[in-house]
Amino acid sequence: MSSHATQSADGTARTDDVLRLENVTKRFGGVVAVDDLSFSVHDEEILGFIGPNGAGKSTTFNCVSGAFPPTDGTVYYQGEDITGVPQYALVEKGLARTYQTFRPLEDRTVLENVSLSMVPNKLFSFDEFRTTVEDRAREICQQVGLTEYMHQTPDELPHAGLLRLEVGRALGTEPELLLVDEPFAGLTPEEVERTATLFRSLREDGMTLIVIDHNMHGLLDLVDRVVVISFGEQIAEGTPDEIRNDPSVQEAYLGGEL
Amino acid sequence: MTRLDLEPRHVVGIVCLGGLVFAPFLLDVLTLRQLQGALFLGMFAMSWDYVSGYTGQLSFGHSMFFAAGGYSATLVNLHLGVTPVLAIVVGTVVAGLLGIIVGFPALRLRGPYLALITLIIPLILVQIANIFPGYLGGEAGLRSPDSLVSIGDTVASILTTIGFRTPFDQEVFVYYYISLLFFLGIFALFYVFTRSYVGDIFTAIREDEDAVLASGINPAKFKVFAFTMSGAVGGFAGAAFVHTGGSPSPDALLLIVVSIEVVLISILGGMGTITGPAAVGIAYYFVRDFLQTTFSHLSMVLFFALALLVLFFLPKGIVPGLSDLSRKILELRDRRANPTT
Repeated sequence: MSSHATQSADGTARTDDVLRLENVTKRFGGVVAVDDLSFSVHDEEILGFIGPNGAGKSTTFNCVSGAFPPTDGTVYYQGEDITGVPQYALVEKGLARTYQTFRPLEDRTVLENVSLSMVPNKLFSFDEFRTTVEDRAREICQQVGLTEYMHQTPDELPHAGLLRLEVGRALGTEPELLLVDEPFAGLTPEEVERTATLFRSLREDGMTLIVIDHNMHGLLDLVDRVVVISFGEQIAEGTPDEIRNDPSVQEAYLGGEL
Repeated sequence: MTRLDLEPRHVVGIVCLGGLVFAPFLLDVLTLRQLQGALFLGMFAMSWDYVSGYTGQLSFGHSMFFAAGGYSATLVNLHLGVTPVLAIVVGTVVAGLLGIIVGFPALRLRGPYLALITLIIPLILVQIANIFPGYLGGEAGLRSPDSLVSIGDTVASILTTIGFRTPFDQEVFVYYYISLLFFLGIFALFYVFTRSYVGDIFTAIREDEDAVLASGINPAKFKVFAFTMSGAVGGFAGAAFVHTGGSPSPDALLLIVVSIEVVLISILGGMGTITGPAAVGIAYYFVRDFLQTTFSHLSMVLFFALALLVLFFLPKGIVPGLSDLSRKILELRDRRANPTT
């Protein structure tokens, strides 16, 4: 299985690909949500994954993160075929995600929300992990800027705080690849900048990120490379500058307002 | 000198535990026999709370586990001559296996659909018991299996000197302490699990399974585990019940009323607390008995009216409601001690 890492149908795959999609298709009944999509993500890269509303971005994320398997095609993570592997197992391998509609546990504090992502996926464990987990959860809260909210419940957090909590919970699983679904929706320009700074710092620590957005404003300044999809199909790929000037992308966004 | 500063809820807990330990010397023998029954109701309720209160996977048919344990222990004891201790082990294993079988639908079905499945299984079991009255006892139930312990001469003479003279008194005394041991053991077991990270995962499953998946935890594994352990403990309690004087009959172990009572006790006591169902299970038995003997026909009306009042004023249940109260008393005490702050 690992031989796939260095060879693929078109021979363009690189050995430092963290993630590679090959001809991924997802159909819901007669609707094709993702259509024959292939792209790869390099190590320590921030990849922008953009497209208009309903383009299939979140569906692609769901196929990659194990929420449901693709109808066709293969997903490789660090050279290993992970198509159809359940989400919790992928998280253990280092592939974490955040949700566009936040999923906090309302019955516990921010710190306990973050702590949950560090408990073992085992029925019996006698490790002395409780105190280390709490120390690490504190560090993560500090890293994502939630120190002042640590002992509050999620319903007391502002919108930007909930996004930080999503990221914090993902960080608790010690990911190597982080999929971030629409982080900038509903944020003020200052918050977008602070969030982008957080993502840059994560990349400096060695993480690879894929960031979804339907609007390109905040995103193009953050990312190294962009994949654009529309109606489930890839319509462009390139550097932020190339994407800004790509007529087909402007077409997809109706009227070319970038 | 350090002063031991106990919270009111801890004081209440210690007083209750003391009451249970010294109950044989405080109560008459018939009341003690009832208290033994009440302990089993508490054990049944705790086993429900462990799976339904914590993970939110509602079971409306938990009596299937009590019956699976109680009936299989009775059958292997009566027909195969298995010793009571081994029969209890068999009952526990059978109920645990049933827990696995019920746990798997819980992976696909949620909310009312799962609740319906759990509701139907004991109904089927009641019918099976009625189809084979010769072997399973039908509506009247089976005859009691052998007693878990036999009281030897030395023990009997010691018990006589402390005031338990008749064989019946002595039996009630011994059964009571065995049951209390089981009650406390089950309480400790569930307490340790629910206060560990496993409890955190259970309640997270109740809140949002996607959040659990995103945290790298397999909710399916923990749901099946919760059902299995809850079933095994419920079955253990059922098997222990029949070997300490309880009757292996549908009334006591299998009927839908038993399942509903267990749910009601846990909700009244406080779902997801273990302490709530344990305490209220005992209280419930005596309140129900008091109403039955005092008001006869009106008793159930009054009983459910009382339950509704409790839920209205303490929606989280009695134990969480009282511990909130305990916290308020503490704050008040602090404020009185340091009026400036």
